Amino acid sequence: MKDEARLLPNGRILRYTFVERLMHWLSALSYVYLLLTGLAFWSPWLFWIAVVLGGATISRELHPWAGLLFVAATFWMYRTWADQMRETEVDKEWWRALPHYIRNEDELVPKIGKYNAGQKSLFWGFFWCGIALLVSGVILWFPQQVPWSLRFLRYLAVIVHPVAALLTIALFMIHLYMGLAIEGGALHSMVRGDVSKAWARAFHRLWYEKVLNESTSRK
Amino acid sequence: MTNGWIDIKNTDMMLIMGGNPAENHPCGFKWAIEAKRNRNAKMIVVDPRFTRTASTADLFLQIRAGADIAFLGGLINYAIANDRIAKDYLLNYTNAAFVVKEGFKLPEDGLYSGFDPAAHTYDKSTWNYEEGGDLTGKAVAAEAPHKPAPAPAPAKPGQAPPAPPALPPNVAHDLGLQHPRCVFQLLKKQYSRYTPEMVERITGIPKDQFLKAADLFTSIRKNGDMKKAATIIYAVGWTQHTYGTQIIRTAAMLQLLMGNVGRSGGGVNALRGHSNIQGATDMAGIFDNLPGYLKVPTPADADLAAYVKRITPTSSKPGPWDSFNYWSNTPKFVTSFLKAMYGDAATKQNGFAFDYLPKVDRNYSWTQIWDQMYRGTVKGLFAFGMNGVMIGPDTQKNIDALKKAEWLVVGEIYPDETSEFWRAPGTSADEMRNIKTTVYRLPCAGFAEKDGSMTNSARWLQWKNTALPPPGDARLDQDIIAQIFLRVRDLYKKDGGKFPDPILNLTWPYIDPRHPALSDVAKEINGKALADLTDPATQVTTKTGQQLPGFAWLKDDGTTSCGNWIYCGSWTEAGAQIQRRGTEDPSGLGIYPNWAWSWPANRRVLYNRASCDLDGKPWDPQRRQVWWNEAAQKWVGNDVPDFKPDSPPKDHLGPFIMNPEGVGRLFVPLGALADGPFPEHYEPFESPIANPLHPNQSNNPVVKKLTTAADKFGTPADGFTVVCTTYRLTEQYHYWTKNNPMNVQLIPEPFIEIPVELADDMGVRGTEKIKVTSARGTYVAKAFVTRRIKPMMIDGKKVYQIGLPIHQGFRGIAEDEERNARTPANLLSPTVIDPNAYTPEFKGFLVKVEKA
Amino acid sequence: MSQATTEIRRISGHAGSVPGEGFSRDYDVCKLIDTTTCIGCKACEVACLEWNGYSFTETTFDNSYQTMPETQWNYWNLIKFNEHEREDGSMQLLMRKDQCMHCEEPGCLAACPADGAIVQYANGIVDFQQDQCIGCGYCITGCPFNIPKFSPTARKVFKCTLCNDRVTQGLEPACIKSCPTGCLHFGSKTDMKELAENRAAQLREHSGFANAGVYDPAGVGGTHVIYVLHDATNPEAYGGLPKNPTIPLTVRLWKMPLKWLGNFAIVGGLVGLAVHYLRYGTKTEEVEEPPEQAEQGAKR
Repeated sequence: MKDEARLLPNGRILRYTFVERLMHWLSALSYVYLLLTGLAFWSPWLFWIAVVLGGATISRELHPWAGLLFVAATFWMYRTWADQMRETEVDKEWWRALPHYIRNEDELVPKIGKYNAGQKSLFWGFFWCGIALLVSGVILWFPQQVPWSLRFLRYLAVIVHPVAALLTIALFMIHLYMGLAIEGGALHSMVRGDVSKAWARAFHRLWYEKVLNESTSRK
Repeated sequence: MTNGWIDIKNTDMMLIMGGNPAENHPCGFKWAIEAKRNRNAKMIVVDPRFTRTASTADLFLQIRAGADIAFLGGLINYAIANDRIAKDYLLNYTNAAFVVKEGFKLPEDGLYSGFDPAAHTYDKSTWNYEEGGDLTGKAVAAEAPHKPAPAPAPAKPGQAPPAPPALPPNVAHDLGLQHPRCVFQLLKKQYSRYTPEMVERITGIPKDQFLKAADLFTSIRKNGDMKKAATIIYAVGWTQHTYGTQIIRTAAMLQLLMGNVGRSGGGVNALRGHSNIQGATDMAGIFDNLPGYLKVPTPADADLAAYVKRITPTSSKPGPWDSFNYWSNTPKFVTSFLKAMYGDAATKQNGFAFDYLPKVDRNYSWTQIWDQMYRGTVKGLFAFGMNGVMIGPDTQKNIDALKKAEWLVVGEIYPDETSEFWRAPGTSADEMRNIKTTVYRLPCAGFAEKDGSMTNSARWLQWKNTALPPPGDARLDQDIIAQIFLRVRDLYKKDGGKFPDPILNLTWPYIDPRHPALSDVAKEINGKALADLTDPATQVTTKTGQQLPGFAWLKDDGTTSCGNWIYCGSWTEAGAQIQRRGTEDPSGLGIYPNWAWSWPANRRVLYNRASCDLDGKPWDPQRRQVWWNEAAQKWVGNDVPDFKPDSPPKDHLGPFIMNPEGVGRLFVPLGALADGPFPEHYEPFESPIANPLHPNQSNNPVVKKLTTAADKFGTPADGFTVVCTTYRLTEQYHYWTKNNPMNVQLIPEPFIEIPVELADDMGVRGTEKIKVTSARGTYVAKAFVTRRIKPMMIDGKKVYQIGLPIHQGFRGIAEDEERNARTPANLLSPTVIDPNAYTPEFKGFLVKVEKA
Repeated sequence: MSQATTEIRRISGHAGSVPGEGFSRDYDVCKLIDTTTCIGCKACEVACLEWNGYSFTETTFDNSYQTMPETQWNYWNLIKFNEHEREDGSMQLLMRKDQCMHCEEPGCLAACPADGAIVQYANGIVDFQQDQCIGCGYCITGCPFNIPKFSPTARKVFKCTLCNDRVTQGLEPACIKSCPTGCLHFGSKTDMKELAENRAAQLREHSGFANAGVYDPAGVGGTHVIYVLHDATNPEAYGGLPKNPTIPLTVRLWKMPLKWLGNFAIVGGLVGLAVHYLRYGTKTEEVEEPPEQAEQGAKR
């Protein structure tokens, strides 16, 4: 879907619409539940998490449903954002400049559009891991329904699910870190939807210029 | 059984045929497994199907249903030809040396001498021993070619009929076994036709497999070794044929030939199919016996003396030998029985009320009852724990017979097909309205709700206590019978009748006549002294009214009363022997002499004198059952000697004390059997082939088939080309467990076992519905396509066999929910019976198989 | 049996050490099933139902004497029938009592994430504790014998308990008690193994079964239910008894290497992020620009 970003009357730029924010938080909250209950099933040391979340049995019952919710939200995000997440020429340059980005030497990082390559990777990472978690998750949800002659599917599911989950955990950690600690204003953008011009100019220069152009041409 | 269940663990070799003990006697079968595990005993299983018994066998042979005599005869031929026989045993303990009289003809053409084609019976006078002495070593003149013996002259009017032929008291004998008419040579000649090639033609068993089995089974007598013992185990796979009795005879002959009868781990062992069927036959639940296997009186028996003379055998043996001929005590058994029945009304003057006994003038066996009901002469039926509609044969005929009856009383624990005959599937509403039969349903007690004794296959009488009372209005069997009897007696008292005496004078000595205690009945059966009696040998006295210690105390002068002589000793002054629970088995042979009580006289293995050689020493010192104690001058042992205790070996008293000869009968003379002194292979009544031995006499010539419109028979020409047999499963029991959720869970639906090859021919897959049709009816169920029944080559013809369990009918858990076709298996079976025991031919008739 | 046999050896999904670890092997129990003397009578099926209080259910005929295709959550013990033709053309009807094998290294226990849901006692019995079970079904995947079964009503998983409740009272399991032919035996692992080997030797020597042997698969560390088979080289013929059962590879990978890797990665990641923050701090919107770029950007 097309980017709906525009200049707002108050001088800020709309980055995420209401629907986009809703999708994100649905996905985020369901992911957190999945993460917490998943960690409880992952490690005996963390099993207590499921117990405090209403009991281990109910956690096991709800985990797959939360998974379905997460996957639905993720597919929704795919419909909305996939077109905006395609790889461009800038992305290759950005990856080369990654060490600068990490060291906050943002002046040495090429100008990018609405999403940098890292953010795009996050999107695709969650999308593909989401699919892997869905398929392996459904098998783990109804293991007895998988016939004994096809039991290799169960064995695959049992390893694919935690591996995919671990990948999403890595992405999640980076995502939270970036959004909460590194790029001030990012959280506000996903809650209220808008960013300042300075923020846009600093972190997504090409997008900033595009939005200004469009608003100017509209006038 | 001649032996017992536990004794099977002592065997070295088992031939299991005509029976499926793993499935139908799983608890008893553990003893066969014990023999395998502990003695490396070998098991040969011969069956039309590869059963669960076969799965534990060392050798399995698939046989065409009904070809058993051919197989066993082949084994006899093999044993003789390969000298794998027990020579001393054969010579001294059987009638092998007896010479048969001239005029006797073997059935090379299917008929013995003396056949009357019009009457379908035999004049058996030529089936007899020759009178005479020791012919050993005497040259025999060449025999003239056989001329049929002249028919006995018919009786002139006014003249008493000629005396029936009798066994000669002194039998001519040849101890060299060479005389052409000695039993051994006749036996050899008879089964010389049963070559391995002939066995293959008839049974379908390939020659090399037959020889393997024959070699294995007879291997116990290799080089004359007498130590080992072989047992033959069978059930209704043998009895349910039109020559069933003769199949068992062949096995008995084989066992005598090999010296296995009387031996621990040997014998001829029938697996009874019901917990108390042995008790039923012992107590004469059959029309042609009185309790203790006494023969019933006939109208020709003018009085007690004539009756007793007719049924009491006199000894018949080689001069120098001795014969105990224990049936010579028949007068004591009969008189004591009459005293038990009629008490003081039975006196010496009135022949002990002999006139009160019904005289049996013809065949009143099971199929005859239903046939007479069908013809309208039998007006009513008491069916107590007997589901006649399901049993058949020819279920539809039985249903139609009940429609014609005036009344039916069913004593049962649940509504069965017999009590619901009037709404059998296929009965229209109109038909139902026209059925006039009054049906009375009496709720009875189940097995756990009754006490009493049950007699098992091993002849053990074991008392059981009531576990819980009958529910609701259900009553004990004896209460029902008692109250019917008392009312009938009152009616006779009030209204008189043609001959009320037997009813009015029947003893009914129970404390509460309406509720006889079975313990009192058991004591009555054991019998008591009616006067003070003293045994001259031991000076022991049994006082008037005391329980008799054993049947040796019975008298023919009216001073003893005994309901069943073979049970005498079961409930003595020392207490109820049948309630004993002693678990000691000092010999380790599984005798358990203090557990319950076996007839006769607590002997566990019958004919056990034959377990010793001529000097009274056991053939196998490891399995000592009884032996002669020279110092004490008597027979002693771990088992009770089945013998005259003080008869020394040198007197040559025969071990088979119940035979007039005192020895085992390879040749059965005169009238003991209807169809021949030796068994001959005859085809089942409905057979796919003509008898290869004598195609012009395929079937048993004395078999009578029933002849109403309902009695139909099929031939291959009519399209009935598949051989069908019926059987039972472990998980269900006859017709009543289909009311029990547990059994229905294990075997939920009826099925028909068909060979894979037949299924392929028909284009049928497992669990598809098929129908099996005989000349009498149609059975519908799911196909069980199996590799456990292979097609066979019978006399060069490819023949399929199928089998079906009998358990489902038209009333049960699944039946009531219409979850199966509701067809009883015995809609298929034929109304043709064995001429000796009258058992119908349930196992081996012709059908066609089609998609349903 | 003494109280010591109810000591616990392993607990599923449990953080920390298990009381009773490192015990003596003398207490091991074992059920020996001699398939060469089994007659498929199903007394054991019924005894198990009755002892454990399960009701009889409706079944259907499926071209076999077998009561149903597989064990179920309320049917723990099933005779499997196979019409097997040997190489020489002779027939066998193989009948094998199928139930939990009570593995020495149980796959169910390894796969189970729920603390205390599966317990392995000192005597080798592996028992499900339904109170602790969360119904996730990982045990179903972990078992190489296809034994644990999920109950849609109770929403928990069930299997044979080797009659733990009877064994602790000194009684033999219900199935053992009911077997009419003595095909089932119960005792210590040492004794049962000896009995089994002797029987297998007897079969080889006296019954012409050259490949007779004992099934006690090493892949799961041996089992507390062992079989005597006519042909130990072909266990598959006995209703699908796996030839070389092990805890599935991916289950083992998940529980061991992946768990270490994953935990390490998570902790390492958190530490890494913390260190990054300390070192580089947050980004600012005041991004210094090279002059040329700023002008270029303004023009665009």
